Amino acid sequence: MPHDSMIHSNQPSAADSPFDVADEVDEAALAAVMRHVPLGAGVLAGAAVALLVLGYLLSYLLVFIPRGTVG
Amino acid sequence: MSERQPEMHERRILGTELLWAFGVGVLIAATLSMIVFTALTMGINPPSNVERVDPKMLHLSGEFAEHNLGTSVAADGSVTARVIATQFMFVPRCIAVPQGRPVTLRFAAPDVIHGILITGTNVNTMVVPGFVAQVHTQFTRSGDLLMPCHEYCGLGHSEMWATVQVLPEGAFQPDREGRVSCAQR
Repeated sequence: MPHDSMIHSNQPSAADSPFDVADEVDEAALAAVMRHVPLGAGVLAGAAVALLVLGYLLSYLLVFIPRGTVG
Repeated sequence: MSERQPEMHERRILGTELLWAFGVGVLIAATLSMIVFTALTMGINPPSNVERVDPKMLHLSGEFAEHNLGTSVAADGSVTARVIATQFMFVPRCIAVPQGRPVTLRFAAPDVIHGILITGTNVNTMVVPGFVAQVHTQFTRSGDLLMPCHEYCGLGHSEMWATVQVLPEGAFQPDREGRVSCAQR
């Protein structure tokens, strides 16, 4: 059936937009995905923080320390 | 989905968050330990001198009078360079320092807040009227280093810079009064 929001424009519904309609999710599939979510988030955040720390360490050891003492 | 599964997921996520918090705690502790270690073993600290001076009398008497500015070597061999930072110049415009020896840099300002850094070194401090800014350092390489004002001090700020001439030990020769000037090139 073609989408026509004019039919009930005074009664907006989430179903007017296909993006707002809930997906049909298989609970078992969702559970399977959720088992991996913390690991994926950990790997992504860990890689980002590791790169940041590596950049800090390199500039500290290769730039800051060789510039000599100060105080 | 069984009723216990959401609880298990939450517990697993909590476990991950606790593990992450522990990892971040270890990283912060390691970073702070490294900073404290280099501070204690290599003498790398933020300059923290608190010493008052009257900015109105700066050029008239005392340590920062005109005849006393620049680099001087004391009887015990310690090297001190005294510089006034003022709108919009450093006095003197060039300071000579020895390579590989401890040097004390002392700055004072009569007018507004200035700041200095010496390129290629860790020397970096504010120069606040009413206080003497002091930095202890050791220059590892000889050559001319740029010392610009790094705190906006007025319309001529971008023209305010000086040169630090790091001289090899043989070329750093104090005169009879213990004063050293920049070599003319």
